[in-house]
Amino acid sequence: MIPQFLISSVRKSPRFIIIIHWPATLLILALGLVFGACSSQPDPNTIRMGVAQAPTNLDPRYATDATSARINRLLYSRLVDFEQDATPVPSLATWVQQSPTHYVFTLRDHVPEFHNGQGVTSQDIKATYESILSPHNASPHRGVLHIIDRMETPSDTEISFYLKRTDPFFPSYLVIGILPANLIANRHPFSDHPIGNGPFRFLDRPDETRVRLVRQTDGQLVEFLRIPDPTVRVLKLLAGEIQLLQNDLPPELVAYLANQPTLHLQQSRGANFAYLGFNHQDPLTGNILVRQAIAHAINREDIIRYVFQNRARQAQALFPPDHWAGPVQLTGYPYDPDRARTLLAEAGFGISHRPTLIYKTSTDPFRLRLATIIQDQLSRVGIDVVIQSHDWGTFYGDIKTGRFQMYSLAWVGVKTPDIFRYAFHSQSIPPTGANRGRFASPIADHLIEQAEVSTNRTEQRTLYHDLQVHFLETLPYIPLWFEDHICFSSTEITGYRLESDGNFDGLLQVQRNTSTTHVASIRSPAI
Amino acid sequence: MTAFLMTRLSSTLIGILGVLCLVFLLIHLIPGDPVEVMLGESALQADKEALRHSLGLNLPLHQQWWDYMRSLLRLDLGHSLFSGRPILDLLVERIPATLYLSLVSLTIAITLALPLGLLAATHKHQPWDLGAMGFALLGMSIPNFWLGPILILVGSLWLGWFPVSGQEGWNAVLLPALTLGTAMAAILARMVRSSLLETLGEDFLRTAQAKGLSPTRILLVHALPNSLLPILTLLGLQLGGLLGGAVITETVFAWPGLGLLMIEAIQQRDYPVVQAAVLCISLTYILVNLLTDVVYAWLDPRIQFKRP
Repeated sequence: MIPQFLISSVRKSPRFIIIIHWPATLLILALGLVFGACSSQPDPNTIRMGVAQAPTNLDPRYATDATSARINRLLYSRLVDFEQDATPVPSLATWVQQSPTHYVFTLRDHVPEFHNGQGVTSQDIKATYESILSPHNASPHRGVLHIIDRMETPSDTEISFYLKRTDPFFPSYLVIGILPANLIANRHPFSDHPIGNGPFRFLDRPDETRVRLVRQTDGQLVEFLRIPDPTVRVLKLLAGEIQLLQNDLPPELVAYLANQPTLHLQQSRGANFAYLGFNHQDPLTGNILVRQAIAHAINREDIIRYVFQNRARQAQALFPPDHWAGPVQLTGYPYDPDRARTLLAEAGFGISHRPTLIYKTSTDPFRLRLATIIQDQLSRVGIDVVIQSHDWGTFYGDIKTGRFQMYSLAWVGVKTPDIFRYAFHSQSIPPTGANRGRFASPIADHLIEQAEVSTNRTEQRTLYHDLQVHFLETLPYIPLWFEDHICFSSTEITGYRLESDGNFDGLLQVQRNTSTTHVASIRSPAI
Repeated sequence: MTAFLMTRLSSTLIGILGVLCLVFLLIHLIPGDPVEVMLGESALQADKEALRHSLGLNLPLHQQWWDYMRSLLRLDLGHSLFSGRPILDLLVERIPATLYLSLVSLTIAITLALPLGLLAATHKHQPWDLGAMGFALLGMSIPNFWLGPILILVGSLWLGWFPVSGQEGWNAVLLPALTLGTAMAAILARMVRSSLLETLGEDFLRTAQAKGLSPTRILLVHALPNSLLPILTLLGLQLGGLLGGAVITETVFAWPGLGLLMIEAIQQRDYPVVQAAVLCISLTYILVNLLTDVVYAWLDPRIQFKRP
């Protein structure tokens, strides 16, 4: 029994009056916060694009992720660009190979100025590449450009690159945006305030989720919004809060959006190579018969038809047939479960002795779904698969250190055949290269080396064709597919063209159909 | 009271130290290397080593731990390995968003839970009770990653009242807050009901009834305040969880809060940011718990902080 005086003290106590009304108190507090913290409404004239990941670095010397690379293409110009078939072509400068180890690049006429008004000279090119090559700067691109021995600038428009050894693909490496030399010397924070001479200039980064650029020609504002969840990206497009969405969507959402009358779908052939990788030092996956059985057991045609809804094409090699080094008319491994069972029997396995494989993949729900389909298909021919899904850091760490039997991954944005040395040469075992499966073939090594010293494009093409035929026979990877690039745009905008490599260059022409054209009156950020 | 606070603070410090050590060890021991993420695979081995050296990642683990602890004592949280920005700046950017979302969510939760709990307790085993507790069960069972997109579908696409995600406009907080708030309200409503039912059987309420007080007054002025202690415990825990960053809701609504920062840092193996975020979250939990204890004493003078 609680004494009466306590009850009366409780009743009279002002603290309980506050407690009784605390929802109201909190509501008032929250409303105050609402009004205090309210953010700006989106500008109706801005063209907004949803991206899955925010750019991690807007300094092209350090950027490695796809979003940064695509946005940096808009902010900065580069010496060399690529044709549709991945042949390098002049961008800021034309080039002449004076000797196997000496290239001369000459700036083209009417090169756009940097966004701070300075003209572009060969000194800027030299300073950009010198800063990448400086070991103090820890640029991730130094490994590729390490081949440069020295640079000379005989004039403001000419720069000579002297190489340590011959490399027929050298011009393909000069695709990094050029920065002003004086700002490099002053250690300007390019990642926070990018200054290049690209078709867009940096406006601001209001928070971690948004980057705003201004088109140089007409002041059109373009905003990139990071929206991690794919469903929410789609809903934002449907609600008209963004006007563009490119890639990074699961196939079912693509199919749903394709049926929306207010959206326009563009699709182009992709070149990102999805594959199954193997540990060649493992007794099971090191056996070619087992790998061939797996290749015959996977029904890629059905996966592409039903899972990708025909928005992918089968891969037989690392490069697609429309790449200059891509093999044409290669016959891969057709779906043939009987042949798979026969091959397994030849390898010493059968109903009473089923092999068990560990298949590592990431935690991405779509990749996990693909893994379970492959698991089911392999189970039908007598291979038991245990799927291990890890967060990206753990998964990728395991792959690089060779802690796997089988895994699935994709090579993204690969354009130059130097990938063959990097991923398959016997001397490229990590940490030297990315031969993660420890594949070793003297024939492959020989073909890679021959193609690297050849200066004749036709001969190179033949050698790479032979190499990829050899890979299809020996199966260091099982080629799976090339996923298509997909872009949805709202009817509010016109003129966006989806590029074959998925870059954002279509933003150069895009227009928003509003009654008035927004011209940004905002100045470039202070330097 | 002071003695109580001192005792609590000292046990708090030991708790924080334990959390810090555990997180430091776990994040360093799991596979994945920030240098590899930063430089990529194609980087030269010498460059990787140089970067590892400049970041101090080449030092023995105990040395790294000791350096980290010494920096903490100087209140220096360090810099992000990736952006190079001071971590304090990153936290200062993210904490207001999380705090704002938490407070609005809590307001929604309380606003929903108190009437529902009261209704259920005063109409025990009647349709009102079943309805309120059915809502509570539904609220607890629906995961946030499903409720969030459904609320967007209804509130943004069909009704057009709210922005889909982000922080655009004054009403942008309401959908993520509703997502978080309804789940919290569900648990809270059940607690209000059971706690009230327990109190309603007490003698002092019979006395109040005998005195001729109105049922509303008995309920709101006598019964509810006396059933607040367990509710407060739950609220403290829920607020702690909210302030720690509602990772799923923040991801769905692209809400730039603490939870999203931590997840991104874990994926990139940005050790200092993960450590700072965990430190921040554990401090929040501990402070909220401490605050709950203090409010206990403030609410109910019978509770005194004495050694047994």
